[in-house]
Amino acid sequence: VTPAVGLEPSLPGFERVQRYWDSRERTWVAQVLPGEFFVTRAQEVISTVLGSCVATCICDRGAGVGGINHFMLPFGVGGPPGAATRYGCFAVERLINEILKHGGRRPWLEVKVFGGASLIRNLGDVGRANVDFIHGYLKAEGIAIAAEDVGGDCARRLRYHARTGQAIIRRLSVSDAEGLASRETELGESLARRPPNDIELF
Amino acid sequence: MAKIMTIDDSLMMRMLLLQTLSSAGHQVTEAKDGAEALTLARGAPIDLFICDIIMPGMSGIALIRELRALEQYRHTPILVLTTEIDPQLKTEARLAGANGWVGKPFDPERLLAAVRQVCG
Repeated sequence: VTPAVGLEPSLPGFERVQRYWDSRERTWVAQVLPGEFFVTRAQEVISTVLGSCVATCICDRGAGVGGINHFMLPFGVGGPPGAATRYGCFAVERLINEILKHGGRRPWLEVKVFGGASLIRNLGDVGRANVDFIHGYLKAEGIAIAAEDVGGDCARRLRYHARTGQAIIRRLSVSDAEGLASRETELGESLARRPPNDIELF
Repeated sequence: MAKIMTIDDSLMMRMLLLQTLSSAGHQVTEAKDGAEALTLARGAPIDLFICDIIMPGMSGIALIRELRALEQYRHTPILVLTTEIDPQLKTEARLAGANGWVGKPFDPERLLAAVRQVCG
């Protein structure tokens, strides 16, 4: 099926995110994977599947720009104290900064939060920790949450219209979410192992 | 022990920096934007600035230029702390007078090592 509208090129830095034409919904869809983030000014839907991970969805409707992150706090043994908070701050801040760079205006940002189900249980309630973090962060920064659907024990498929802020959540059955918990566990552990960013003295 | 000013619009980020820097005995002054940083810096002498780039109002790069224009801070070390990875922005920061570039999320130990290095 031929797409009804052409696809605008990705904003710089987001070329690696997969985008496809959904002929049923007649829209372009950008597929965001765990750990990624995506910002767009194009007429398209951002899609992601959330288990214990959380997606922060932010848009400035008037400016026609928006995006989401799909994050999980690093966990596992031996991580330095505060590492989770430092990573969480980074995950939200880089999304906000990217939206501001592409025309978003700080007072007009609308924020929605989804995910954080209790899917990974063997390491404490990771979903809960992710939700607690984003609530604490947004409160500290004085940012209101326009809508949210968090917690519970169901994985979710999120479809977010970045230019309008419309979010559609579908709860997934256990079989639809098969393998999600183990992929998320892998992500959480790999984040804890990831070497910190470089410091360069000029 | 140095008198350090942190400039970041994020309260959480300022708290994280305060924890790290004060644990090593440094004295920390916080500013939420460039304008506040300039006002505070004119009041009490600062040994090191750690500043964000993307902030409401004055950008971190503009703040570095303003600080370098002040006789008092022409040679005071300034570290940039940012989520940005654009090499062009890094060059811009260096040309504006920054002494180093630290990527977020920062590693506390390595940040403290960089602070020791630039403060001599």
